[in-house]
Amino acid sequence: MTKRTQLALATAVVAALALGASGCSDPKKGANSGPSAANPAAANDGKTLGGTPVKGGTLTVLSNQDFAHLDPARNWVMPAMDFGTRLLYRTLVTFKAEPGKGGSELVPDLATDLGTPSNGGKTWTFTLKEGVKYEDGSPVKAQDIKYNVERSFAPDLTGGPDYAAQYLAGTEGYKGPLDGKHLDSVKTPDDRTIVFELKRPVAEFSQTATLPTFAPVPQSQEKGTQYDARPFSSGPYKIETYDRDKKLVLVRNEHWDQKTDSVRKAYPDKFVVVMGLKGGQVDDRIIAGEGADASAIEYFNMRPESAPKVLPKPEIKARLLAESQGCTVMLHLNNSRAPFNDPKVREAMQYAVDKEAVITAGGGPALNEVATAYLPPALSGGKQADTLKIPASGDPAKAKELLKAAGKEHLKVSLAVSTGDKGKAEAFQQGLARAGIEVVIDTVDPGAYYDVIGDLSTTPDMTYTGWCPDYPSGSTWLPFVFDGRTIKDKGNQGNYAQFRDEATMKRIDEINAMADAKQANQAWIDLDAEIMKKSPSIPILLERKPLLVGPNIAGAYGHPVWTGTVDYGTVGLKDPSKSQG
Amino acid sequence: MILYLVRRLLALAGVLLAIAAVTFLIFYVLPTDPAAAACGKTCSAERLADVRQYLGLDKPVWEQFADFLTGIFTGRTLGTGQFAVHCDFPCLGYSYENSLPVWNLLMDRLPVSASLAVGAAVLWLLLGLGAGVTAALRKDTATDKALMVGAVAAASLPVYFTSVMLIYGVIRVAGLLPYPSYQALTDDPLAWASNLLLPWTALALLYAAMYARQSRGSMIEAMAEPYIRTARAKGMPERTVVVKHGLRSGMTPILTIFGIDLGGLLAGAVITESIFGLPGIGRLFYGALVSSDQPVVLGVTLLAAFFIVVANLVVDLLYAVVDPRVRY
Repeated sequence: MTKRTQLALATAVVAALALGASGCSDPKKGANSGPSAANPAAANDGKTLGGTPVKGGTLTVLSNQDFAHLDPARNWVMPAMDFGTRLLYRTLVTFKAEPGKGGSELVPDLATDLGTPSNGGKTWTFTLKEGVKYEDGSPVKAQDIKYNVERSFAPDLTGGPDYAAQYLAGTEGYKGPLDGKHLDSVKTPDDRTIVFELKRPVAEFSQTATLPTFAPVPQSQEKGTQYDARPFSSGPYKIETYDRDKKLVLVRNEHWDQKTDSVRKAYPDKFVVVMGLKGGQVDDRIIAGEGADASAIEYFNMRPESAPKVLPKPEIKARLLAESQGCTVMLHLNNSRAPFNDPKVREAMQYAVDKEAVITAGGGPALNEVATAYLPPALSGGKQADTLKIPASGDPAKAKELLKAAGKEHLKVSLAVSTGDKGKAEAFQQGLARAGIEVVIDTVDPGAYYDVIGDLSTTPDMTYTGWCPDYPSGSTWLPFVFDGRTIKDKGNQGNYAQFRDEATMKRIDEINAMADAKQANQAWIDLDAEIMKKSPSIPILLERKPLLVGPNIAGAYGHPVWTGTVDYGTVGLKDPSKSQG
Repeated sequence: MILYLVRRLLALAGVLLAIAAVTFLIFYVLPTDPAAAACGKTCSAERLADVRQYLGLDKPVWEQFADFLTGIFTGRTLGTGQFAVHCDFPCLGYSYENSLPVWNLLMDRLPVSASLAVGAAVLWLLLGLGAGVTAALRKDTATDKALMVGAVAAASLPVYFTSVMLIYGVIRVAGLLPYPSYQALTDDPLAWASNLLLPWTALALLYAAMYARQSRGSMIEAMAEPYIRTARAKGMPERTVVVKHGLRSGMTPILTIFGIDLGGLLAGAVITESIFGLPGIGRLFYGALVSSDQPVVLGVTLLAAFFIVVANLVVDLLYAVVDPRVRY
């Protein structure tokens, strides 16, 4: 890619410089975690900044790029899911607007309750609230939700969550409603009732119904791929103008009724998203906080390079959010071939890795913390398990001992990382060298990284990526990362360790079949510990979401479900008269 | 002259075709799979096949290339049925990321890149030629040395460095200008210019330095020609000697590089646009490269090639105007 033209080469250099691609750079993130008492370096974790907002004014969002998709059938990138579902469209169920642990609590949104399971958890029925309207004043109907669920199957409407395809019955060969065909497994007996028939019991279907797939799209508004540029609003704001990759302006949807919505507060009169700004400049502008920037928040993470301008200054640090992203970043070992097809060698790796050094390379404890299990804290009662009890800096002596027992005292292995993770790769290299393991680092352009490591013919011995649940349930985590049946020759995603273990797969099926959500939750935690013993991958760190807000911003907190992004439903301004817009 | 033009236009088409073919082939051998990138995280094999078919990526590479070429002249339709997307003439493909025809994206961003390129070009020509001619006319004086040392220094500074320094000095420390955000010339000419002032300066500094060195050399050479001596001997005023005879002759090599430089910049200054946050073709290209939006990358590559080849042609034609000895 970088050799295509001279221009392309220049671009690749910029890409390498500009993209501090993290291990958890996969955009489909989502999880929660409570405030971390263990990390005093983290700023404002679980706090709300700026007090209660005053209604009115223009809130500016500064971003380095456009939204991947705002079409609810295609929206599966975490900050965009937060933005879309809090401002533009409502879903059957949503998450409470609260920082910390409270934010992962489910509340009804379009529906009157969290849904009623029947038929042993294989049928879910939702009743819609009365009086919910679109931006043109027409009522939201159950048929519109069914229609959007069907849209998620269309091959031209790509990129969205595929839970409907995974869970709904009778979807084989279905290719969406654009050619006039509809699903029999979603029934709408009347305008306010929607019934989902599933192929197996899904205990946490209420959580699934929080995804944008379960937002309404009236068939009369269908524009195919062009719907992305102008979703029809059922939320508190509607799109006034959307100049792709440049600027999005949202104004109030006067038909949205606060009385029907227990979550969104809709404080500002207007949201203006300015796109295409350079990351470092966004940080500088919000740090300076002058003019319209005083009423601005950032869409993407503060860059680690900006940390020295923020952390030592209390007045600026007070404007930094750093909620846990709720994702676990791992070093995946390629289980399909030597040397990591030997469980003893994999176990040795758990002891050989120096996680502390990787955390330092990633910006220190203010931005990361040590991971001791696969499941992120929110999926295991707010705190990760630590079954192996290995010190954060590792135990090279024990690793050497295990390698000796396996007859592999001198290992030479390859590690591929995204360009921005080179520093972390070097930390791995130095840490593993203590146990006599030589690491050859291969850095890959961020645009090609997931293609390279997802291709079984090119993936190296070790890869470094994260995984985040789509909502706080083990079912959105362990099956994606460790179910051997998901491995594909090309485009392999999630199971980068190529871990194919019969006992694990059998247990995944058993837990998936459980109708009781609490029982299933405990079973996922137990399975996590079982997999840790087999060490297909090594949990390394949990990243935080550092976001700066302007001095005129109020009601800002990192929402735990949307990887610590600002809750757009409740953020506003201290003094609307100071905003410009 | 007409025969020459026809020959050159045919060659131009040939070059563009070759570039399109090579770029297409490079995409084909790349490890990135646009269908998988568009499909989403947990895309099943069946859905991936549907997406690949929808995007036309299931066809052999030659067939995809033929579709692409046909689309340029006749337009193309993506998908079938009521919501099929039509990409009108001249269809350079359809962006996977933006769900828009590449041509529309390019035309939407061209005014930004053209504003940047043309403004910077005016600035660097004024600065570069001014410094180069002054240095040549005052050869070996302190002025000459100072100008050339300045030019070497400016040429040594990469554009990302000068850009960042300008932002830091002019915007952050002195607060003289706001952070650039593009305003259309037709909306507010003053805002257009003030927002582009820093990007123009950053680009112009680099190019002006190169032009100063180049024009100094050309002018020294031209001013040493016998016809200059003759002109002076005839009693022609020195200003006329320099401008009409020296500068005109010395401009031929400058014109050559100017054509290529301006042509290249019209299709986007990737680094400058990215640093200053200008929504031009360069930034579009950068985004497309990172997100494997191959039709956009191909479109920008072709547009850049088109501008460079056309600029070269215009330059060749202008030789005849600048230098009376050249005839076609």
